[in-house]
Amino acid sequence: MKFLNLFALTSLFCAAPLAAKVKVVTTTEDLAALAAEVAGDSAEVTAIARGYQDPHFVEAKPSYLLKLKKAQLFIQVGLELETGWAPALLSSARNPGILPGRPGFMDASEGCEILGKPTGGVDRSLGDVHPLGNPHYWLNPENGRVIARAIAHRLSVMDPDNSGKYKANLAAFEERLSEKEKEWDASAAAFKGVKVVTYHNSWPSFARRFGLEVVDFVEPRPGIPPSPAHIHSLITRIRASGVRLLLVEPYFDLKLPEKVAAESGAALVVIPPSVGGEAGIKTYSGLFDRQLELLKNALGGK
Amino acid sequence: MRFFRALFAALLLTVPSALRAQPQLSGNALQSSNILNPNISAVGWLQGEAGRRKPVVEEAAAPFAVKEAEIAFQSVIDPYTRADVFVAVEGEGGIELEEGHLTWYSLPGGLSLKAGKFKGAFGKFNLTHRPETAFADRPLSHEAYLGEEGLASAGGGLSWHIPNPWLLVNLDAQAFVLPGADEVPAFGKAKRNDLLYIGRLGGYYDLTESANITLGGSCAFGAAGREFNPVTASSSTLSSRLYSLDLTYRWKNPRRAIYRSLFWQTELLWNRREITAGSYENTMGYFSHLEYQFARRWRAGGRYDWTRAPGDGTAHESGGLVYLTFMPSEFSRISLQGRQVDRSGGTKEKLGFLKLTFNIGPHGVHLF
Ligand SMILES: [Zn+2]
Repeated sequence: MKFLNLFALTSLFCAAPLAAKVKVVTTTEDLAALAAEVAGDSAEVTAIARGYQDPHFVEAKPSYLLKLKKAQLFIQVGLELETGWAPALLSSARNPGILPGRPGFMDASEGCEILGKPTGGVDRSLGDVHPLGNPHYWLNPENGRVIARAIAHRLSVMDPDNSGKYKANLAAFEERLSEKEKEWDASAAAFKGVKVVTYHNSWPSFARRFGLEVVDFVEPRPGIPPSPAHIHSLITRIRASGVRLLLVEPYFDLKLPEKVAAESGAALVVIPPSVGGEAGIKTYSGLFDRQLELLKNALGGK
Repeated sequence: MRFFRALFAALLLTVPSALRAQPQLSGNALQSSNILNPNISAVGWLQGEAGRRKPVVEEAAAPFAVKEAEIAFQSVIDPYTRADVFVAVEGEGGIELEEGHLTWYSLPGGLSLKAGKFKGAFGKFNLTHRPETAFADRPLSHEAYLGEEGLASAGGGLSWHIPNPWLLVNLDAQAFVLPGADEVPAFGKAKRNDLLYIGRLGGYYDLTESANITLGGSCAFGAAGREFNPVTASSSTLSSRLYSLDLTYRWKNPRRAIYRSLFWQTELLWNRREITAGSYENTMGYFSHLEYQFARRWRAGGRYDWTRAPGDGTAHESGGLVYLTFMPSEFSRISLQGRQVDRSGGTKEKLGFLKLTFNIGPHGVHLF
């Protein structure tokens, strides 16, 4: 009997109307930063993975369930970026409202420009590929705009009382972003056509937007560590095709990239692909500010 | 026991109303998203063995054989339930339903309900599928009390996240058809409809960003065979109570997640078994497992074992296993292992193993 009472009580709690602030949980800090721009003070936004973590390899820790249990809106990058951890967390969170297909579930990739969709057959001889296209699409600010709009729409539907605020926050964000984009384009003009090698295939959207040319990767296939033979041919290729920069995400060990840089003459740049990838990067535009600053510094003398 | 019965009665009363309370959702939306739809995947397990088993087994193991192929079918059925089916095709040709259960994952109040055949929430190690453990064998204590395949049976269970703002605490309450003593030696069927009751209280806590612990206590109550009393010409059911404590410590720096990690797990089993009406024998066993990942694709580990047999407090066995594992990618594993066991008769057994596993398809990821 006591158990039944307890059960009834908990059910009541769950059925209670939305609290004053909408609780939003995102998989990455990039999505959290975008959600925070739109939400202002009307929603509480938290991210699961930190920006300095490899988003493919986040541990599905049970402590994340505490966040997910109370979430009203869950946002993921999608395209199988989080396939190793988000589904396991969602199905264990005991929060039916944020399961795929429910109004509380959002895949941020919808409507974004996605590069690298495989055209032929895909299998794992190609490594841990992303069969739905490259999931690092948030590194194009125009995709950030699309994501922010989608979040604003979701929040307005979930929390109609504050829809005016969300609309205004979105408009202000878009305006700031447009201003920033002009600034970024101006500074990126200096390195149009610069050839780069990246560790993981995280940068196609960024490279297309800012005019870099990605020639090769340190990883021979996504998720597969390089062999000595691959490193050897990579060094040769960097020298032959005049690659100037070697971009490495901060979560990879630097020993090998340092060797490649030293032997090939390319400049090594540890460049964060996410908000929170360095302590100082706290906003979505702050991410591009920092990335472009790093590239500029690396190319500065040449 | 009374507690479990009350729990299940409460459940039967609350589930239908809970289901009615769910908002209707178009099936299409759910089907088009495959996030909870991992479809079909398979794990292959090949194993080589060198050395002589003691006591000598009738049919010596082939030096290299396909041990098992485990095929998983996992799918969301409707907005309330998912189904998980694991079929084990054994190398010798047998096909066994390892697990097959429905889970109501969207009950209110942090509850979830499972029904079908599944692994009992007894300790932590029991929940891992055999090909996916780090070992070519089972810890001696688990083999002695829970059998070679671990504790799995048909039944139902309720799992509850106990609400609190600080840490994740989970309570499991399960009832199973009691497996035979040949499968799970800690118990013994007395009547056809004997049940096995299992409860586990487990907590998970992040010590730091990199380190966390899981601590759990479990109990299992069931029959331990029948005793016939010639004086009264009646028979009575004997009982067995099995308890366990499990502690798991994990360390992994999230800034370098793919390169280094540490795992330490210890499980203690304690059995109070009725030998004859009113007289009990207490026995215990444990194992401790340490693993260190020292490079992106390499792990080294070891396990220490010590155990008595259920209902036999006179003799014990102890031993150790060491291994080196190479993972060419996330999807395959090659492990070289060596084991020594000091058998209760005073003999020493030395074995070497080669465990090879691979998985294809979108393998289900577990929480830890
Ligand atoms: Zn990737």
